[in-house]
Amino acid sequence: MEKKATQERIKEAYLDHVLTQNAKPVSVYAFMKKLRLSEKVFYTHFTSFDDLEATLWDELFRETRSAVTGSAEFASFNAREKTLSLFYGFTESMKPSRSFIQYSIRQSPAFPGEPRVLRKVRRSFQEFCEQVIAQGLESGELSRRKHLDHRYKDALWLQFVFIIRFWTNDTSADFEKTDEAIEKGVQLTFDLMGHSPLDNLVEYGKFLFRNARFVYERAK
Amino acid sequence: MKEQNSIPRSRIGRSGKFIGTGIRIGGNYLKHYSKKLINPDLDREELNKDNAEDIYRSLSELKGSALKVAQMLSMDRNLLPKAYTDRFSMAQYSAPPLSGPLIVKTFTRHFGAPPSALYDEFDLHSSNAASIGQVHRARLNGRELAVKVQYPGVAESISSDLKMVKPFALKLMDVSERELQVYMQEVEEKLLEETDYELELERSQYFTAQCRLPDVVFPGYYPELSCKKVLTMDWLEGVHLKEFLESGPSAEARNRIGQALWDFYNFQLHELRAVHADPHPGNFLILPGNRLGILDFGCIKEIPEDFYTPFFSFVCANPVSDKNETIARFRQMQMILPGDSDSQVAFYYRHYREMIDLFALPYRSGAFDFARNDYFNALYGYGEKVTKMKEFKQARGVKHFIYMNRTLFGLYNILNELGARVRTDTYLPRVANDATPVTAL
Repeated sequence: MEKKATQERIKEAYLDHVLTQNAKPVSVYAFMKKLRLSEKVFYTHFTSFDDLEATLWDELFRETRSAVTGSAEFASFNAREKTLSLFYGFTESMKPSRSFIQYSIRQSPAFPGEPRVLRKVRRSFQEFCEQVIAQGLESGELSRRKHLDHRYKDALWLQFVFIIRFWTNDTSADFEKTDEAIEKGVQLTFDLMGHSPLDNLVEYGKFLFRNARFVYERAK
Repeated sequence: MKEQNSIPRSRIGRSGKFIGTGIRIGGNYLKHYSKKLINPDLDREELNKDNAEDIYRSLSELKGSALKVAQMLSMDRNLLPKAYTDRFSMAQYSAPPLSGPLIVKTFTRHFGAPPSALYDEFDLHSSNAASIGQVHRARLNGRELAVKVQYPGVAESISSDLKMVKPFALKLMDVSERELQVYMQEVEEKLLEETDYELELERSQYFTAQCRLPDVVFPGYYPELSCKKVLTMDWLEGVHLKEFLESGPSAEARNRIGQALWDFYNFQLHELRAVHADPHPGNFLILPGNRLGILDFGCIKEIPEDFYTPFFSFVCANPVSDKNETIARFRQMQMILPGDSDSQVAFYYRHYREMIDLFALPYRSGAFDFARNDYFNALYGYGEKVTKMKEFKQARGVKHFIYMNRTLFGLYNILNELGARVRTDTYLPRVANDATPVTAL
């Protein structure tokens, strides 16, 4: 119990620091000194400030995920709708901590790949996606593609990171533009993951490749 | 209804749609003329039909205000060939539905609870599309409800949508740019009003309380379940005009509906001086017992005194007939402009006078049979003749004409489709023509 309380204190103090100073504390030592705690205590909870931020993100995500999956409608949704409600749910959850989100995303290096602070969220997000995608593949909503269908969750993750960035910079009333970005983007991703002209194109390409001799016979 | 898989997202995407249409219209003309070489008797009607189909297809892939403009163009039957308008009247039935989760989110944001907590039953799949939103069926305390949910970002997209429709409308309606500018401004204002469901709620309640007319039914509204983006009302069980007519109703039934419609509009015009300016067939339902259900008070045109009086002084019980008096009123409504020469004044006087006499005929008759196709042919024929005259390419008339014409022509059209015979003297214009003549001022 004691340990939990200390962790909470560290998190709160950290949030307060970055939000008022707009920068990380100079060192773990200096940060813990203000809390009248030893540096050692910090490391029993977190490995670094980055790790702490990643934890804050992950907690936010997990809370959202359980709220979304626990809602009355969720069970009746198909994979597409489940994914949409997670996206919508998360933008709602981000609202109360908008300052922190903006700070955290902006100070985290954009490239390569996603912001480092999202690495823990990524794991939790993909757990969610695996279940949803399995449901989609099962029901035929998504199409099975060799070498590709296990990457579906990566496609959704890229979209998720994109939406977080989009929301961070969104200035429209009630973040309506983000809603539109989600609605259109997720729909498109699911359209592509479902049976689409893409499959036919690949099939046709494979066919032509295998039967090239019929195509070029005359030329020879 | 076929769900659309994608909507053109960016402005560029949407503009691309319009350009595509332009090219195809060109193609249709080509087709028309090459066919004509072989068969010189080929009807222009066929060409118009081809064009309308292409335009319709492009517009129906757009949402929101572009769709609305399509509807508006369809109301101006006097400006457009019949082939176009038949396609456009279908426009409101096609828009891609919003996803269930977005509906849930909209409710959670505005009411702090998902629809499942607010209603006993709520169907997350929309039952039909309105022009800027979609309608869901719900049930609460044993009452069947219709819940209208607005598409996100509609208000913001209106201005940019209208800018894109502009060159297109310019071509289609064959009017000058300045005239279109006046039109567009008024339309934009009204469209923005339509995106505010709180305003619509207020107006719906006002009109419902004021219009106590036999055979006219309004749904009850639920303010506690309504907000800027959501509007909850009673579900009216009825059929649209088209289905009603397909069922082969008796003349008596058609007359009764027609009378209700006439009374509803003229009561608003003359008693309330504010009118439901969206007489689109989709906004009316025929209820069992041949009563008329009225939906959608999103578009209300308030008629200012300085327009009402000159406009209706030609159709009231004691109409203006003196030439100088008439011209004075035309000037008031900017149908005759200060810079016009004497011959221009004479020209416009003659034509407007003729137009007004034609238009006022039902009002002057006491009872009028709207099934009379000769009357409508004369009306449209006149409209077509006038739009081809170069004198009418110029912007004339105050902006209030836009919604006034839309409302009255819409009403006449629906009555014509109904083939109804109605008493036109139930609610008469209230203009005191025996008061001081305008010329004396």
